[in-house]
Amino acid sequence: MDLVVADNLVKVFPAPKGREKRAVDGLSFRVGEGKIYGLLGPNGAGKTTTLRMLSGLMAPTSGSAILAGFNVATEPTNVKRVIGFLTANTGLYQRLSARELIVYFARLHGMESDHARDRANTLINRLGIGEFADLRCGALSTGQKQRVNIARALVADPPILIMDEPTLGLDVLSGRVILEYIKRQRDQGKAIILSTHYLDEAETMCDTIGLLHDGRLVAEGDLESLRKLSGQERLNDIFLKLIHADEKVEALIE
Amino acid sequence: MSFYGRIRTIYVKELTDILRDRRTLIAMIVVPIVLYPLLMLGSIQAISYQTETLAQEDIIIGVLSESQGRWLYRLIEADAQAIEKNRQDLGPDSQEAKEELPFPLASADIRRFASQDEIQAQVRNRVIQVGVILNPNGPPQTTQEQTSVQFFLDKEDVRSASAYRRLVDLIERTTARIVAARKARAGLPDAFDHPFVVSDTDLSSPPSILGQILPLILVLMTITGAIYPAIDLTAGERERGTLESLMVSPVSVNDLIVGKFLVVTTVAILGAALNLASVTATVHFGGFDRMISTTSEGIPFGSMLFILLCLIPFAVLMSAVMIAVCSFARTFKEAQNYVTPVILAVLVPGGIAALPATRLEGIMLVMPVGNMVLLAREILLGAIVSFEQIAWVLVSTTFYAAAAVTVAASIFGQESVVFADAGSFGSLFSRRALKRSNKPTVSTVMLFTALLFPAWFFIQTALSPEPGESLGGLLYATSWLMPALFVGLPLLILLYWRIDVVGSLALRMPSGRHLAAGILIGLSAWVPVHELSVLQFQWLGAPESIRQSGEILKETLLSMPRGTMLLVVALIPAVCEELLFRGFLLSGLGSSMKKWTAILVSGLVFGVFHFFLFKFALTAALGIVFAYLCWQSRSILPVMIAHFLHNAIGVLLGLGAESGEDVASEAAWAHLPLYVLALGLLTLGIGLALASRRAEPPASRLLPAMAEA
Repeated sequence: MDLVVADNLVKVFPAPKGREKRAVDGLSFRVGEGKIYGLLGPNGAGKTTTLRMLSGLMAPTSGSAILAGFNVATEPTNVKRVIGFLTANTGLYQRLSARELIVYFARLHGMESDHARDRANTLINRLGIGEFADLRCGALSTGQKQRVNIARALVADPPILIMDEPTLGLDVLSGRVILEYIKRQRDQGKAIILSTHYLDEAETMCDTIGLLHDGRLVAEGDLESLRKLSGQERLNDIFLKLIHADEKVEALIE
Repeated sequence: MSFYGRIRTIYVKELTDILRDRRTLIAMIVVPIVLYPLLMLGSIQAISYQTETLAQEDIIIGVLSESQGRWLYRLIEADAQAIEKNRQDLGPDSQEAKEELPFPLASADIRRFASQDEIQAQVRNRVIQVGVILNPNGPPQTTQEQTSVQFFLDKEDVRSASAYRRLVDLIERTTARIVAARKARAGLPDAFDHPFVVSDTDLSSPPSILGQILPLILVLMTITGAIYPAIDLTAGERERGTLESLMVSPVSVNDLIVGKFLVVTTVAILGAALNLASVTATVHFGGFDRMISTTSEGIPFGSMLFILLCLIPFAVLMSAVMIAVCSFARTFKEAQNYVTPVILAVLVPGGIAALPATRLEGIMLVMPVGNMVLLAREILLGAIVSFEQIAWVLVSTTFYAAAAVTVAASIFGQESVVFADAGSFGSLFSRRALKRSNKPTVSTVMLFTALLFPAWFFIQTALSPEPGESLGGLLYATSWLMPALFVGLPLLILLYWRIDVVGSLALRMPSGRHLAAGILIGLSAWVPVHELSVLQFQWLGAPESIRQSGEILKETLLSMPRGTMLLVVALIPAVCEELLFRGFLLSGLGSSMKKWTAILVSGLVFGVFHFFLFKFALTAALGIVFAYLCWQSRSILPVMIAHFLHNAIGVLLGLGAESGEDVASEAAWAHLPLYVLALGLLTLGIGLALASRRAEPPASRLLPAMAEA
C-alpha cells in the first residue's frame, strides 16, 4: 500500500504587487511501505514547501496529498498524528532537558504520562541519548541535538517519516548514526521521504529519487533508470543533466 | 486526551520553560522586590526633604525703602521671639510644642529696590521671591490705623509661593497678638472679636499623591509582566525554530494559543501580585501609610486584595493583546518594536484616568485600561464604588480580552507567521492575497464589535439628554448613526476583504415555515420578557435611573407621530441590529465555532451592547433566541420581523394605556393575567418548534475555495 500519495500538488505564494510565486507546480508522487523516497533539487526548487504541505503545516493551493489515508487539506491534525517530521531547522526548547522535551511531545501526541515516560526511555536508550538526557537542550552539541530531534520526530512511532536535510551541519559520525537509524525505520516498514543536498547520501539511501526543479518533477526513478535516462554515471552529473544545468555550468566556467 | 488535559500539558511545559529563564525572573521578582522600595523610599525622601528645606530656607524679599525693610525685619524678629517664648512656656518636651508651633521665619534676606516696577520685574525674574510694599511706612500705632501690605509673588515658582505663604502666616500671627494685646488693654473678653468658634472636620478623601499614582503603576507593571513572556512564547519560539517542531505535532493552534495565553496571564498576575505585595510592604514598613490612605488606619489590606482580583481580567486583556501583537513578529527584536507603540497607546487612557478630576463614569466605565486604573484608584482611596461600576469595568474588560484572544489565535495560526519564508509578510493584510470567502472570520467580527462597543457607548453617553430634557435628540441621532455604524461599517469590511455579503448577512428568502416562526416569536416574546422582568423587579428592585429613563422615553415617544415613533424605536433597530448581531457577528462566529457557542456568544454581545446592566440577562436571552432563529432559518428576514414586532409591541403596550399605566409606574411591574401568559408561551413554543427544523444550505452559493476545504 502506498502510504503517501501526492496528486498534482500546487502551492502559490502571494508576492508583493500582485505577482505570485508558484513554489510547487503540479507535483505527484507515491511512497510505499518500507521505501525511502529521495526528493532532490537545487535551492528554491520547492522541496521544503512540498514537505511542509505533506506534513499539514501548509495548506496546498490545489491538488491533494493523502498520508496513511488522511487528506492534508481537510485533516491536517490527523496527518500530523501519522508522520514524524524532522528538518535541520526544527529547534529544541533550550530550557527543557532532553527527557522533558521528549515527554512533552509524547504528551502532545495524546499519550498518558506513564506511557509518555516509557516511550521517552525507550527512545533515549535506542538513540544513545542516555548520557545527556537530563541536560538542558541548550547545552547540547549539534549532533546530540539532532538525536534528540529524531527522538522527538519518532515519539509516536509514526508510519511515515518526513526528513528535510536531517544530517545538515553534522559531523560524519553523527550523520552516520542518524542515517543508520533511518534505514532501520525503513526496515520496519515505514515510508520515508528524504530531502537532501548530499547526493552520495541519496545514492546509498533512496529506493526512488525524484528530481525537483522549479516546483516540478523533472525525473523520477531508481538510480539505474536515472542513469539510463541521462546517460550519466554519477548522481551529481545525472542531476545537473536532467535539470539542464550542465550547460549553465559550462557557460559559467567559460 | 481531553481539552483540559491538552491545555494543562501545554500550560505546564510553557510555564516551566518561562520560569527557567533568568530574564523572566529578573523582570518578575527582582524589579518589584528590590527596585520598588528603593525608588519609592528614594523619591519620597527626596520630596519630603525638599518640602522641609523649603520651609527652613532663607527667603528673599524685595522692599521699596530702608525703613520698610527695617520694619519688616523687626516684625520677623518679634514673631520668632514670641514663638520661642511660647515654646519655653510649654516646656521643651511638650508634644504640643513639637507639633503645633509654627516654624518662625528664622532670617530673611531683605533687599531694597528703587521702584515698584523693579520689584515686579525681579519677582518675575525669580531674583527675589516676594515683593512687599507697606503703606504707610510702619506698623499701626493706634486702633484707628491700618497698614496695607501688598505682596508681589509668582505662584508658579515653588519658592515664591512658599515665601508668600510664610509671610502671610507671619502677619496673621502678628495680627492675633496685636488684637489680643488690644483686648487685654481695653478689658474686652476674648470672645469680643470671635462671636463664632468655627471648627470643621474634612470627611472627603483628599487625593494623596501615592494613591493617585499607584493604580497607574500597578497597571503598567501588569503590562510589563506580560511583555516578556508574550514575546518569548511567540516571536521567541519562532526565532529559535521550535515553532515548526510544535506545529507539526497533532495539536490545534487554538489549544496552543490558549495554553500560551494562560501562561502569559499567569506571569502577568504573579508579577502584579508581587508588585502589589512589594508596594504594600514598602508603604507599611516605610511608614508611608498616610500617603496612600487618608484615614489613620493605614493601608487598606482588604482593598489591596480586591484590587488584585480586579487586575485579573485586566491581566487577561493585556496578555491577549501582547500575544496578538507579538505573534506578528519574527524575532525578539521585532516584537519589542511592536510592543513599544502598544505601551504608548495604553499610557494615554491610563494617563487620562490618573488625572485627579477623572471620575469612573460615562465613557470611562468602558475605556480599556483607563477604567481599570480608575477602579483601582477609587478602591484605594476608599471611594464608594457601586456594583454596577465594577460590573461595567469587568464585563467590558472581559469582552475586549475575548476579542484580543480570538485575534491572537487567528494570527498565530497563519502560515506566513509560522514560516518566515512563506510568502510576503504583508500578505496578512493584503487584500489581493485573500481568497474570496463566504464568511468573515471570528477574529474579524470580534475585533470589530470590540472596537464598536466603546465608540457606541461613547456616542450614546454623549447624546443622552440632561435630566428633564426629552430623548428626541438621542432617538433621531441613533436612527441615522445605527445604519451607518451597525450596517455601513460591517458592509465596508465585507466588501474590502472580499467576503460574500449575501451569505454573511444571511440575505436570503426564508421558507414560509421560518417566516411564520419569526412572526410568532415576535408576537409572543414580550410575554416571557415581561414576566421575567417582573420577577427580576420583585427580587432585585429596579434602579431609579431605569424608572426615570422609562418615564422620559414615554414622554418623548408620546410627542412623536406614531409612524415616526415606530420607525425610530422598532424598524431601524430591528433592521440594523439584526444585520450586525445576527448577520455579521453570528456568521463570523459560526465560521469556526460550534452552533451553540456561536449563538451564546452573539447573544451575550447583544446583551453587552444594551448598556443597562439591569436588563443584561434578559436582553442576552432575547439575543440568544433571535440568534437561534436566524441560525435555523439561514435568513435574516424572519428574525428582523420578530425583532420589529417585539419592539413595536413593547412600545405600544407601554404607551397604550395613557391613563398612567406606563413602563415607569408600579402597575407596569404587575404580572400578566394567566390566560395572556399561557397564550403567549404557547405561541412562542409553536414559533420555536417551527424554527427547530433547519433550512437547507443554499448549495449554489458555495465558492470553489470553500468547496475544496
